[in-house]
Amino acid sequence: MRPFDYVRTTTLDETCQLLGQDGDSSVRALAGGTDLLTLMKKEISVPTQLIDLKRLPDLPSGITSTAQGMTIGTLTTMTEIETNVQLQEKYPLLAEAAAVAATPQLRNMATIGGNLLQRPRCWYYRNQLVNCWLKGGDECQAQDGENQLHALFGGGPCYAVHPSDLAPALLALEATVQLRGPGGERMVPLAEFYALPEEKRRQETQLEKDELLLNIHLPGLPAGTRSTYLKAMDRKVWAFALVGVAAIVRLEEQKIVDARLVLSGVAPIPWRVTAAEQALVGATANEATFAEIAEFALADAQSLSHNAYKITLAKSLVRRALTMLTDEG
Amino acid sequence: MTQVSLTVNGSPVTREVEPRLLLVDFLRDTLGLTGTNIACDTSQCGACTIHMDGMAVKSCTVLAVQADGSTLTTIEGLATNGVLNPMQQAFWDQHGLQCGFCTPGMIMAATKLVENNPHITEAEIRHGLEGNMCRCTGYQNIVNAVAQVAAGKGG
Amino acid sequence: MPIQHIKVLRNGTDEEELKVVETTGLPTWDADTKFTVVGRPQSRLEGLEKVTGRARYSYDVRLSGQLYAAVLRSPYPHARIRHIDTTKAEQLPGVHAILSSANAPDDITWYEEKSKLFDKTLRFIGDEVAAVAAESEEFAQDALRLIEVAYEPLPFVIEVEAALQPDAPRVHDKGNRVDEPTIYERGNAAAGLREADVVIEQTYTTQTAVHNSLEPHGCTAFWEGDQLTLWESTQGIFETREQVAEKLGLPEHHVRVVKEHMGGGFGSKQVPWKQTVIAALLSKQSGHPVQLMLDREAENLAAGNRNATVQRVRLGAKRDGTLTAILADIQVVVGAYMVGGEASEVNGMYERLYRCPNVRTEQIGVYINAGPCVAFRAPGHVEAAFALEAAMDELARALQLDPLTLRNRNYSEIDQKKEKPLSMPNALQVCYERATAAFGWQTYQRPAPTGPKRRGIGIAAHEWGGSGQPPAYAWIKLNGDGTVDVVTGTQDIGTGARTGLAQVAAEVLGLPIEQISVHLGDTAKGPYSPTSAGSSTQASVGPAVFAAAVEAKRQLLEVAAKLLEEEPERLEIRDGVVMVEGEPENKLTVAEVTGRLAPHMIIGQGARGPNAKDKTIRTFGAQCVEVEVDVETGEITVLRVVAAHDCGRIINPTMVDSQVFGGITQGVGFALTEERIVDEKRGLVLNANLEEYKIPTVADIPQMTNVPVNLPDLAANPTGVKGIGEPPLVPTAPAIANAVFDAIGVRLRHAPLSRRQLLAALATQAESIDKSAPPHTQEGQS
Repeated sequence: MRPFDYVRTTTLDETCQLLGQDGDSSVRALAGGTDLLTLMKKEISVPTQLIDLKRLPDLPSGITSTAQGMTIGTLTTMTEIETNVQLQEKYPLLAEAAAVAATPQLRNMATIGGNLLQRPRCWYYRNQLVNCWLKGGDECQAQDGENQLHALFGGGPCYAVHPSDLAPALLALEATVQLRGPGGERMVPLAEFYALPEEKRRQETQLEKDELLLNIHLPGLPAGTRSTYLKAMDRKVWAFALVGVAAIVRLEEQKIVDARLVLSGVAPIPWRVTAAEQALVGATANEATFAEIAEFALADAQSLSHNAYKITLAKSLVRRALTMLTDEG
Repeated sequence: MTQVSLTVNGSPVTREVEPRLLLVDFLRDTLGLTGTNIACDTSQCGACTIHMDGMAVKSCTVLAVQADGSTLTTIEGLATNGVLNPMQQAFWDQHGLQCGFCTPGMIMAATKLVENNPHITEAEIRHGLEGNMCRCTGYQNIVNAVAQVAAGKGG
Repeated sequence: MPIQHIKVLRNGTDEEELKVVETTGLPTWDADTKFTVVGRPQSRLEGLEKVTGRARYSYDVRLSGQLYAAVLRSPYPHARIRHIDTTKAEQLPGVHAILSSANAPDDITWYEEKSKLFDKTLRFIGDEVAAVAAESEEFAQDALRLIEVAYEPLPFVIEVEAALQPDAPRVHDKGNRVDEPTIYERGNAAAGLREADVVIEQTYTTQTAVHNSLEPHGCTAFWEGDQLTLWESTQGIFETREQVAEKLGLPEHHVRVVKEHMGGGFGSKQVPWKQTVIAALLSKQSGHPVQLMLDREAENLAAGNRNATVQRVRLGAKRDGTLTAILADIQVVVGAYMVGGEASEVNGMYERLYRCPNVRTEQIGVYINAGPCVAFRAPGHVEAAFALEAAMDELARALQLDPLTLRNRNYSEIDQKKEKPLSMPNALQVCYERATAAFGWQTYQRPAPTGPKRRGIGIAAHEWGGSGQPPAYAWIKLNGDGTVDVVTGTQDIGTGARTGLAQVAAEVLGLPIEQISVHLGDTAKGPYSPTSAGSSTQASVGPAVFAAAVEAKRQLLEVAAKLLEEEPERLEIRDGVVMVEGEPENKLTVAEVTGRLAPHMIIGQGARGPNAKDKTIRTFGAQCVEVEVDVETGEITVLRVVAAHDCGRIINPTMVDSQVFGGITQGVGFALTEERIVDEKRGLVLNANLEEYKIPTVADIPQMTNVPVNLPDLAANPTGVKGIGEPPLVPTAPAIANAVFDAIGVRLRHAPLSRRQLLAALATQAESIDKSAPPHTQEGQS
């Protein structure tokens, strides 16, 4: 790891100013550090200053109920999300996703803010010897390389997949993120916050470099809403998703009246399959419907040389999630 | 250099450190507490697990400066007055170790598991140890060791 | 002392050596021997150190003025160093020594003289370019960044087929074939195939797997005058001493190698690697102790791996299952260099495991531009078993025979290669019987499928060495208070050698184990013992300890006899008390005897005697596996494994269980998840870490049962012990692959059985699964 200055700030304004002051983006914010420190060890991120957000008194932490739903402070740890009783009751999807992410020790350190802002685990991106497109290079080596873990949707120029398990769950829950910059605050739906990397913005979010993520706001869910997060991994636990699916369904008399499906591990950002959701609404809950929906959800998937199996896998998980959620038992 | 003050195994410690110094290197190199091991460098294996303010964390992915003001327990601080912590005794009794390299981290993770959930089931033990890799034992005797402690506590 | 000719097995070939050892006239522990310490569970003697964090590994050494070293490694799979400039790095405060091809001794060669310590030609990503010793690891890393290297990238080759093309880029000047093919033939294999009613012909591949011991390679080196001490993470302290002395031109007595505890090796630490000599030279150059530990990335790139293989297998059999031919064409992908040490003898199992008159194997090693391979827990056999044992399963299916029946029909009671009897001709039979009985193989009822989940069972067998052999030496010292120091130059690589050896000494001497200390892991303090490899420590060093203890006991009883005014022959020691046969009142404690003698002391010296010459000593085993396969998601769950392994006499049943569980777990990893991934276009190793190189976690392991076999093999040595370290890994992966086929009717011939492979195969065979139930093992038994 290269040397850097360790900085503690006292106000949000001061923090945002500091983050924004440097032209070459060498000031970085550190929360739990479980992602950033691994990037720094590999010199993929080389900050000259590191601001310790956990020492910033104004940065929110913890889970609070609101009139409609719940608000989660950015410094809330993954363990709190996994174990908070109110959250488990109101948004079991989120607790379920947290429980299959990383490991207990990492969940103790990692924050939800950091989890949403973590960078891809792509093995080209994480390799010091590779200057991939996402790191400012000219090409994505995965495109014609070992791409078994890579994107089916939204690929090009970057084919990395988004690693978060919480993000697809939060996207399915239609969360909004509250951001704070030097000019004040803004609220951004998570669906807009995540955006495919572009030539001039080689990252997975719309977060500006002088902005902080403050809170995640969760809207209420109607009674009777069911949800699940299914995650397929290369081994039983402690791996990033090959494919995951966050699914939410509400049934009224065997008819689906609300459905949300977000895939993880298939695109550079959590991938909501809106058309499939729309097709589900009004449909009768049965195996045939779900098989069709699964086909529909993956219809636009474009496989690379080694990742076609993920299409099969994603279809299976979509079918399985919908079956589980509509099972009378 | 940045000054850090913290409590390690019950003793106050103050040192000047480079901000980039990892907590595990602070323990091993600065304080000479070499019981905490480094195996993967990347927070995968859990060999470096210690307790920080009552929580199990992977000390290879925490900066020493992040631990400023906190209270740490390492494997060296687990026994009291020469009497082994029940988890240490159980790992020894149950052959929950072979080469011993994962053992300190495994024991530190396991003590927190049982502390937080005294009536822990075998399935919960396995879930709780997901972040600790062992290349020798096949885990079976490790799970048995944790179960021995849980049985003692729960019964 | 009688002079004996002793056969020493080295690198797979017999060499005759002349040694002076006294090994005649020893008692033996036959099957009827009654034991008080041996054969019973005994918690580890070093357990206290390990559970308290006090166990000292090589990188726990902290010496005054100690420096930390870091290594600059090649970023190219093949390149030439045009120019290297370390000036800026040298000027960095805190940097004390730098080595590279610019200043390192030019005459130190490595890898069978195919590379220098710092070679200007780099043949894999991770090859050593330069090394720095500085006052902290961070400073050493800072210095590495300041070293300027001008590389000339060269054409490289990663893929084995490509490497064998005539116009392939050459890893070495002489080409990419390691040597001429090794060919073995008995009978007439081609004719055997023609005689066959059924022929199976398939190609199987196994992946490059990485040992990934939790403790990486490394050492702490320091000099006192011209005396070099190395605290080295090694499986062989004497091997390391010999090689380091040779490389540095030092007499052996000026090199001391110490290893108290080691965080696993699995074969990768059975030879010293470049970094050991680099650390010694950095220490010499700086005048400070130097610690050089590899990080996980370097451990994956440059510290050995299990060679990938391509195995084209042909089996011929008569309708009743009798094998008429076994043929295997084997390519072994060795990486950029051969490291030495145990060879990956993939061909061996084809030649030995089954009775067959017509066998032909052809094995060739192939160089590629990737990290070198080295022995990995049962080298060759793990790879061979994956292919041979799957091919046997395919043959059984083709013949509609139960896989167990087919194996029994081709049971070999002799060493067919050497045409000698096996020392324990029924050992594998016992393993089959015990494993299948405990598993319920014959009575297995496949549960009805639940949703997409299908169950299946599989079996596989193995054979392996593990007899142990000379030379190995031990001393037993009886102290004045009746306690015992066992001193030997072996090492405990994590398996529990201290405990197993103490049990042997305690048993012979009739002492409680609390009165025994075992001192090992230091070339300056104990007599020669071999490298801990080939599952041989308990079987090689145990008999030396046994012999030393027998000798110490003889002396003790002589003294006791005088004190008791009895004949030594009438004395026996039990629980630390010397008793006269039939006279319970006439006794002395051992401490009373040694106390009378002190400060004179009893020293027993023991040597490992030769193995029986007229028999071949092997170990055997069988495992039965039940899996569940999710045909929609491609997820394989190993539900249970029942193992039975012949390891001769069991000294410590819990430690044997532990080896079996650990081996099965590595087998599950080999079968399902572990694989080094290399981008063939760029030569990049993409998963040189424990994130994407996936070793099994606690959630991946099945329910495991080890059924004790415990057949003392006195042809091996007087204690009847053979090794157990490596074998339990061998049958696991093919048994899993066979069970997967049993579950879903899809044959996966490439390890690991990834979801990618399984889902692709399922897609191809989707229809057949829907139409017919998978074949059931019981159907073949009628």
